[in-house]
Amino acid sequence: MMIRMTVNGRAFDLDAKPHERLCDLLRRALGLHGVRVSCSEGECGSCTVIMDGEPVTSCLVLAMQAEGREIVTIEGLGNEDNLHPIQEAFIEEQGFQCAFCTPGFIMAAKAFLDENPDPTEEEAAMAMSGNICRCGAYPYIVKSVMNAAARLKEGGSVSNTG
Amino acid sequence: MAATTETTGHRSAWRIAGKGIPVKDAREKVTGSLKYAVDLEVQGMVHGKILRSPHAHARIVSIDTTRAEALPGVLGVVTHHDTPQNVWENAWFNYRGKILDGIARFHGDDMAAVAAVSEDVAEAALGLIDVEYELLDAVFDPEEAMQPEAPQIREEGNLRDPYVVEWGDVAKGADEADFIVETEIRFASQQMAPLGRNACIAEWNGDRVTLWTSSQTPSELRDGIHEAFGIPLSRVRVIALPSGSSFGNWWSANFMLITALLARKVRKPVKIELSNEECMATVKRRHIEISRGRMGCRNDGTLTLAEFDHIIDNGGYGFKDDVGFFCVDNWGRAEHGHYAIHGVNTNLLTAGCMRAVGDVTLGSVVERVADMCAIRLGMDPVEFRLKNQIKPGERLRMQHSRQYMKGSLEQYLEGISEKQRQEWPKLFHLSSGSTDEILRKGAEAFEWSSKWKGWGVPYAVDGPRRRAVGVGTGAHVCGVEFEGNVSAVVRINPDGSAKVHCAVGRQGQGSETTQAQVAAEELGIPFDKVEIETGDTDSCPWSHGSLASNTMYRVGWATRAAANDAKRQLLEIAGREFFDSPRQELDVADGVIYSRDPNKRNIRITVEEALNHFRGTDALGQASSITGRPQGPMPPASTFARHFAAHFVDVEVDIETGEIRLLDFLATQDSGTIMNPQVMKNQMIGGAICGAGFAIYEALSFDDDGRILNANLLDYKLLRAADFPLRGDVIYGDSYDPVGPFGARSAGEAPAAAAGPAIAQAVYNAVGTWVDMPMTPENVVTALDALH
Repeated sequence: MMIRMTVNGRAFDLDAKPHERLCDLLRRALGLHGVRVSCSEGECGSCTVIMDGEPVTSCLVLAMQAEGREIVTIEGLGNEDNLHPIQEAFIEEQGFQCAFCTPGFIMAAKAFLDENPDPTEEEAAMAMSGNICRCGAYPYIVKSVMNAAARLKEGGSVSNTG
Repeated sequence: MAATTETTGHRSAWRIAGKGIPVKDAREKVTGSLKYAVDLEVQGMVHGKILRSPHAHARIVSIDTTRAEALPGVLGVVTHHDTPQNVWENAWFNYRGKILDGIARFHGDDMAAVAAVSEDVAEAALGLIDVEYELLDAVFDPEEAMQPEAPQIREEGNLRDPYVVEWGDVAKGADEADFIVETEIRFASQQMAPLGRNACIAEWNGDRVTLWTSSQTPSELRDGIHEAFGIPLSRVRVIALPSGSSFGNWWSANFMLITALLARKVRKPVKIELSNEECMATVKRRHIEISRGRMGCRNDGTLTLAEFDHIIDNGGYGFKDDVGFFCVDNWGRAEHGHYAIHGVNTNLLTAGCMRAVGDVTLGSVVERVADMCAIRLGMDPVEFRLKNQIKPGERLRMQHSRQYMKGSLEQYLEGISEKQRQEWPKLFHLSSGSTDEILRKGAEAFEWSSKWKGWGVPYAVDGPRRRAVGVGTGAHVCGVEFEGNVSAVVRINPDGSAKVHCAVGRQGQGSETTQAQVAAEELGIPFDKVEIETGDTDSCPWSHGSLASNTMYRVGWATRAAANDAKRQLLEIAGREFFDSPRQELDVADGVIYSRDPNKRNIRITVEEALNHFRGTDALGQASSITGRPQGPMPPASTFARHFAAHFVDVEVDIETGEIRLLDFLATQDSGTIMNPQVMKNQMIGGAICGAGFAIYEALSFDDDGRILNANLLDYKLLRAADFPLRGDVIYGDSYDPVGPFGARSAGEAPAAAAGPAIAQAVYNAVGTWVDMPMTPENVVTALDALH
């Protein structure tokens, strides 16, 4: 079945299987491997993408539910030549180790900071608690979010679709 | 390289070592472009799935694959009838068995596998394999499994010979004690819960096989394929990709060998990608451990006796008889000691080395019994540790090398040259570092003396909530010499850049960065000109990989020695061709070769110029690149190096709900020189969170048939961002190791061992009783009920 959706600012008609999950479609059809799949039950948050401005765990979204929606993945936020301020903040604070979870944390941080651009550390920690980092970089993930908030407030150049 | 005469004073001259450089792959990590094995595909690849046993202990009487093979899209099936019957072993006896042998030793064990054009077809085909099992009696309790009449799970029997460490005379230790305290603790099994799962792709070209998988131990996996398939090492190439959080899960795993078996059968590249449930229920877990121990103490707080009897369950395929318990050394000042370890198989999922193996468990018991002594004396736990824990230069008790070096310890020692003896630190004596400095610095920064109100006394009571502090310590080795010595290769390229080849894998601990720092500092070239290969066994010499806290201490030693050898060759060439000087007069800084001779100050040759000089003139091309390798054997690290952690924690316990909250946490560590403080703080806090999970949340739950009930992240609870204090500052000791690269030792495991004892002690101080780990609300309430 063909599904039309916007992914990272571009429109696509994608051929999805009826039972296919959004995470699998994005990885299979568009090669977006930054959509990480780990627990497959919405617990770890590694597969977090932003759908119409809301963070969703894409392992719990059927591909067909994304019909007509606008999806942003980590690849749409910034790339290695043009990092988003949140990505720069995660590097500066070393908010990761193995980094399997990192794209999910960064997308969750993006959605959170869009809603709450001036959070306290406690609010940031609570907002990041929908995701799991098994390496345990939590204090530095929270510092990354606070660092990103400061960068975004300073009007860090955001020239991409995120 | 001999033991160094460098000291902490040399640190100020370093340009790269000791600097908090962002990890090399940081940009790939934050953009999601880093590829793990689950992300990889190769041309013409098909998909494999594994048939898993529905029984904990059973033998296949018959297996019929006819219906599965007939399913459209199926390319082939492998069973034990297709399997070479060679035994393969994972590093340090984490697995010992055949790839498939028709016997199920735990619920979920590998029985057969299917290759098909898609995962869906392979999955459907599994249901069409007709298997008749003969059920065998199963045993799940480690103590029952030790009995001679218990069902025997392996040909070798269930029980390993006890592994014993002893010194002095325990009877004398008991006589000399003014009092003796004892306890028994039974631990649950922690799961690595490896976020990110894993996959393996195997492809045969003729009689050569290549495997791509996420692994910490590329060399050991190559050895495993060589053993299992009985083919020369030269025909096996492992390309280890970065893994998600591993904690020991992704060394070599039998599913990787099954992938190779399937690929050989169907003569196509095969990929097996594990589900989250398979990662948590079919690979590995921490051992279930049962410990009984006692310590004797004088009224002045001196330990006279440490005597512990410890059981570890290996599950189906583990074969360990010891768990690397370096708490024995940390508390080795006890005058008389006896530790006996009993490894036993059960019909549970295979158990193996999880981060800080042994030191999370036995370490918690030893710390508990020591605390019980301090309680009896009313002595401050920081003071008790300062008094009874090992100091540099003192005798070590663990003698691991005895088992793993070739021949007996005596033979090994006889084989050491007099020169080496003089150059190396004194064997079986601690080379550097201890808990001493970090306990003092940590206590001061944590304001311990004002927060600690005495044993079993909270510093604040608010309704049902009790707040109190605790301190715990942990130690672990800095690599072990089992199965061989590590090596590394450093190559200087014609453009003045360099590449390090060392087989340590990439599990997120930053070793691709810290090893490159070691090489860049030694070579004297800029950090961004050094690249590294950590996973390809065709280019990396043998190494254990990232396990047993090997990486910085032992592999780092080899990397520095290889860089030193490359630099020696470079300076010989430069001395001959440009300076007319012996190499000893020359050095390299920032990629430029210079002479210390004042008369030759004006000669400055870049590394690039030196190598390019030969490209046109040297017909043999011998110097257009330079390859360095260690020029001598590495000193045996396990006989003198340890790393240490001391953790301070502030907790709140609700005595009505049993809930524990961590309010504040300070991690301190003595790992010698800190090669990269940015990397190090994540190792320390990440280790603390792993240990905190063991202490308050995590436990696998098994049903009566040995099946894991919570092999998923919904039911197996892990700490989250709001569950751990946000304070991220850490404190380092200032010691300088005589062998480790630039004075560095290892890092990743002691912090996982220190957190649990610290939290357990804080909870004791809050509520006045010890609580079983994991200290879930249920266990807290149960312990409080037992008080009344």
